[in-house]
Amino acid sequence: MAAVQDGPMELESEKETKPEILSDGSAKLPGSTGSGALSSSPLTAAPAGGAPKPEEQQTLIAVLQFLKRNKLTESVEILRREAGLSDDQEDSQAPDAGGGGGPGAVGKGDGNGGDANSLLSRVSIAAAAAPQTALTPMPAKSADNQPDVSVVLSAYSQQGDPSLYQVYYSGLKNFIESVLDCHRAELSQLFYPLFVHMYLELVYNNHENEAKAFFEKFSGDQECYYQDDLRVLCGLTKKEHMKGNEVLLDFRTSRFVLRISRDSYQLLKRHLQERHNNQIWNIIQEHLYIDIFDGMSRSKGQIDSMSGSLAGEAKREANKAKVFYGLLKEPEIEVPLDDEDEEAENEEGKPKKKKTKKDSMGSKSKKQDPNAPQQNRIPLPELKDSDKLDKIMYMKESTKRIRLSPDNLPSICFYTFLNAYQGLTAVDFTDDSSLLAGGFADSTVRVWSVTPKKLRKVKSAADLNLIDKESDDVLERIMDEKTASESKILYGHSGPVYGVSFSPDRNYLLSSSEDGTIRLWSLQTFTCLVGYKGHNYPVWDTQFSPFGYYFVSGGHDRVARLWATDHYQPLRIFAGHLADVTCTRFHPNSNYVATGSADRTVRLWDVLNGNCVRIFTGHKGPIHSLAFSPNGKFLASGSTDGRVLLWDIGHGLMIGELKGHTDTIYSLKFSRDGEILASGSMDNTVRLWDAMKAFDDIETDDFTAATGHIHLPDNSQELLLGTYLTKATAVTHLHFTRRNLLLAAGAYNSQ
Amino acid sequence: MASPKTVPKDAQVMIQILKDMGITEYEPRVINQMLEFTYNDIRLAIQCRVDQSFTSPPPRDFLLEIARQKNMAPLPLIKPYTGPRLPPDRYCLTAPNYRLKSLQKKVTSSAGRITVPRLSVGAVSSRPSTPTLGAPSVQTVGTKVGTPVSLAGQRFTVQIPSSQAASVKSATPTTPTVQNVLINPSLIGSKNILITTNMVSQNSSSDSTSLKRKHEDEDDYDAL
Repeated sequence: MAAVQDGPMELESEKETKPEILSDGSAKLPGSTGSGALSSSPLTAAPAGGAPKPEEQQTLIAVLQFLKRNKLTESVEILRREAGLSDDQEDSQAPDAGGGGGPGAVGKGDGNGGDANSLLSRVSIAAAAAPQTALTPMPAKSADNQPDVSVVLSAYSQQGDPSLYQVYYSGLKNFIESVLDCHRAELSQLFYPLFVHMYLELVYNNHENEAKAFFEKFSGDQECYYQDDLRVLCGLTKKEHMKGNEVLLDFRTSRFVLRISRDSYQLLKRHLQERHNNQIWNIIQEHLYIDIFDGMSRSKGQIDSMSGSLAGEAKREANKAKVFYGLLKEPEIEVPLDDEDEEAENEEGKPKKKKTKKDSMGSKSKKQDPNAPQQNRIPLPELKDSDKLDKIMYMKESTKRIRLSPDNLPSICFYTFLNAYQGLTAVDFTDDSSLLAGGFADSTVRVWSVTPKKLRKVKSAADLNLIDKESDDVLERIMDEKTASESKILYGHSGPVYGVSFSPDRNYLLSSSEDGTIRLWSLQTFTCLVGYKGHNYPVWDTQFSPFGYYFVSGGHDRVARLWATDHYQPLRIFAGHLADVTCTRFHPNSNYVATGSADRTVRLWDVLNGNCVRIFTGHKGPIHSLAFSPNGKFLASGSTDGRVLLWDIGHGLMIGELKGHTDTIYSLKFSRDGEILASGSMDNTVRLWDAMKAFDDIETDDFTAATGHIHLPDNSQELLLGTYLTKATAVTHLHFTRRNLLLAAGAYNSQ
Repeated sequence: MASPKTVPKDAQVMIQILKDMGITEYEPRVINQMLEFTYNDIRLAIQCRVDQSFTSPPPRDFLLEIARQKNMAPLPLIKPYTGPRLPPDRYCLTAPNYRLKSLQKKVTSSAGRITVPRLSVGAVSSRPSTPTLGAPSVQTVGTKVGTPVSLAGQRFTVQIPSSQAASVKSATPTTPTVQNVLINPSLIGSKNILITTNMVSQNSSSDSTSLKRKHEDEDDYDAL
């Protein structure tokens, strides 16, 4: 049956590429040596002369019907005559290579195929046969006695001869290896997507053995950072396996982006068109998007640093939208300068004098920062009195902040969770570092007080009636002393809690869980207030906006959602990732959301309209941590490959790569003024990096900005300021206090 | 349902097949699983099973479409000064999950002095706590006559004629422990008696005031 299976006749059903291929076909006529070689095997396989294969006949009949339906009577006559269909017999004639020619797989029925081709090319119907001259026996087989053209046409497009895939691929490989060095690196990018697509085509069309052979032969050639994907592919041998796998389906339908210089591209195109390797050309046209740029070819190092994602790299125009990365203006708040040190004279007439200090955090100039969004670009909650008090506290604390630098590294205070038995799945600190929350695999959320002040619940309604509402310390009186404790446990989820986040005003706590819901807890009553249902799949991360009210969540359903606490449905859905969204973070100005995903890309989304404004590729593993720099200009991302990548948001470029960790990086945090970046990883270390220096070294000349090609200096060693090991505790979370003390949290792993 | 002794024919065939294949140790549920595949269309069988147990996330084009729809709407404005910003109450979990029972204190001097019967209500699931008091771990659940008290959705109304009550009353002081009161079915229409249900107390006798006070306390914790 192999002969039939590998039947030389296949149907080209791609309408769009047909005209081009036709022209190519005619050009390829002289290249009949290839077709000769190709024809050898099928010819030997086919029985000499004789009995028409029913499948091919069926397909011919289908073509005939199609022609009839389109009222091409002349063609019908010619086809019938030449194919001998009326007599139910087909002879294997010598290919009548007039006109369209019959390149590609040639076989017993080639003559008929060739004729059909020539006919069709004459009437230029953009369907039916193509110079590939392959009519699939299989769909014809599956079509019952009434071969329908649509059935025949619905065969997977561009199906080449399965046994020849290896030949095509090797041919391309040889070509690329023979090319000049400067082009080779760029053209080598083709290998991986081509390999995967060809493999998937074979699987989809049920050529299991050929698929396996193809895989074995060429999987070793692929880049090392694709090994995980290849492992997944290895287990995928049947069409049914593909059906449930959303990630693969997305991979097949989306276009893998390659960035190749114009020279290399011309080389490739010329080569593919002068050979008969149209199969590869077809795949390239259908599944790959080649973003051509003018300029020098990139080196292997440059390419390696940008590739690794499931969808190739980012197109240039994907990163061209304007992003308002500046910070919002701080509101003007009068700060009474009465510290503990100075006696406060609260007399009238004093406030405007030197006793008070205007908000020094805000920009001095009245002008709007051109890179900052408008204040009302997105609606933000107004400042309440309690918020204003918080801000005053914040500013007081920041005056006592330690200035960090490579000579003045922060102290690190580590909170180790004992007896957690690998159940600690999420940690968060409040901004003022007074509370610590942990999400656990047993579906509980626990809140601890970090300061000596205990956690208290609000009194019950009956008791609240009894207190004196006018007293000064009413906020203390509403708390029930009987419920004071160091920690509180919150029950409610029905699955491990993968993300926790405190609200900036310390009133609420969010937790996201494997059960698909996000719960809002009150930190005054320590009860659950709302359950937000939307993701029906595990929600891997959630975070409150820096101003409260909004929060973002990302989960297994490959989207991130923006919610507001008073809406039971999401306000925005950020769809675009090809695989799970594993990490979600707000920009400091709350206008943008960054998401890291298992498809190895980081995307930046605009809250206002849900558009994806930046795509950053370069990681070789799922991304598990993101951090915005305090000035809003830069983004740091860490993934399972142990690298931290630094991105310039404004230009959309990678500006740094920090190598050093040997395992997944689960936490990243910038210090309060952005001088130091701390990273915590599963390899039980916390590393401090010199962020100031990393961001200073950017060269942003026009070429770089235009093409996005940066040559990254390998200066990880210089940027590394310190490595701090724990005994056996993976670092799950990092937090800089307002005075720049570094807090870290993790669960002790006793094994 | 088949009793453990008689296994359906298909299952017997399956057991035989497993034995022939040399598999000797397997959990009994494996047979049920294997039976899924007794029919020829294996793919359909697998598909049915998979669709029941697993769902896969929605496809990309669908996601892009709903995202487009959602993202077209402008962000809603935030109303100022509205206290805690939560969704409408029906979408929150802030509603009480209990209901307070109204107290019925019909003190009549009619002859029917029905004692509040003592029942153990440990098994009642809708109670927030098992109301138990010290030694006499008795519970009173009083309800209005005729009002069906729903416990887990079931309705039990039991009426004790005074004659019976008297006997019950005399019996109870001697047995401080929890006892299940079995009510003569003939006395009531419904067969669903059994204990743990509410007894209708019509009157509370004056000489059991001390008991009554305790009962009143427990009324607060009644779950309906």
